[in-house]
Amino acid sequence: MSNGKKSNNNGLPLIIIGLVLVVAVGGAWWLYNRNATTKPKANTNSAANTARTPAAINALGAQPPNMLGSANATVTVEEFADFQCPTCGVKHPMMKQLASFYGSRIKFIFRNYPLAIAAHDKAYEAAVAAESAGLQGRFWEMQNLLFTNQQVWSANPDYRKIWEGYASQIGLDVERFKSDMAGLNAKARVDADLQRGRALNVSSTPSVYINGMLLPFEQMTDEGMRAIIDGELQKAQSGGTQQSSGAPTEAKK
Amino acid sequence: MSDEEFVTDDTGNKIAKLPLAAALVALVGLGDAVYLTIHHYTGEKVPCSVTGGCEAVLTSAYAEIAGIPLAAFGAAAYFIAFSLAILAAFGNRLMWKVFGVVATLMAVFSVYLIYVQKFEIKEFCQYCLLSAATSMTLFLIALWSRFWRS
Repeated sequence: MSNGKKSNNNGLPLIIIGLVLVVAVGGAWWLYNRNATTKPKANTNSAANTARTPAAINALGAQPPNMLGSANATVTVEEFADFQCPTCGVKHPMMKQLASFYGSRIKFIFRNYPLAIAAHDKAYEAAVAAESAGLQGRFWEMQNLLFTNQQVWSANPDYRKIWEGYASQIGLDVERFKSDMAGLNAKARVDADLQRGRALNVSSTPSVYINGMLLPFEQMTDEGMRAIIDGELQKAQSGGTQQSSGAPTEAKK
Repeated sequence: MSDEEFVTDDTGNKIAKLPLAAALVALVGLGDAVYLTIHHYTGEKVPCSVTGGCEAVLTSAYAEIAGIPLAAFGAAAYFIAFSLAILAAFGNRLMWKVFGVVATLMAVFSVYLIYVQKFEIKEFCQYCLLSAATSMTLFLIALWSRFWRS
């Protein structure tokens, strides 16, 4: 101890450190696997699929939802997004392309899920803006402008003026848009979507459900999503209707 | 750590008390950080009973640096702090000095994170507060041994 060197160099400290490292890594591995194995079950329980979702959750969300494609399609893609979330903005072109690629073969639903965090101070209002445009039948046009210009309005104190510019750009009655933004109808739709998301335990954006199964974030790519959508389409074709949308989704993950 | 108190184990090793206490505190922080790191990767909701703001905090833009969860950096820092404290407990003085530097940096970063929770996210997460508490404790132990005991 006197000269600052280890007084007990029998290697005991290193053994302790090594043990703690092993326990920490092992514990992490155990936690990870435990969560991974419980996950598919949790998803099927809380999923948005008509076959497996409790009726109580199915009743939640704005009615009618903002939907592209066909209401009768066998495959439902449901996206929960926040207009100020950078990843949602990045994924937006891909989602748009997928919706137009599959057309009436799928039902593509967009849900507002503005996160209540300070960095997303305008997210709720942006969702209200999109819904206000929707009240004049232009939801998707506004949704597209909000995402593609995310950087422009997100940090701008005059964001309302910018949105009014978008409103006139897509041919809305701007005065009505402004009054709808202040009114309750658009807000009620956003709140309904939020309720649905909370009931499904959506914890981050974007979250995508395909036939009620939460898409792992790593698979939120063009190929990843196409593979799953194609699989679900095939299942629906070969295995009949309800039966196929139930059991096999669990086998996948 | 000139006049440390020691505990002696069965094999006659002298173990300094303050560094040993620091090592135990670092273990708590390590467990907390590992737990949060894994939850970040599995995307599971963290049970959050005390403060209620976990999701907002843990899914915020502040929760990652270059795609790596902040909690992973925390886990690494606590492991380093633990290792240094253990080496110091068995008599390596240099490691105790390094520990002081590491503990100070961790405490400073914790203060920043509390600021972020209070003023930027406006929500608190109890796991993050626990981590702040453990790193503050490490800092106080280092401070104690540096200024009041020698």
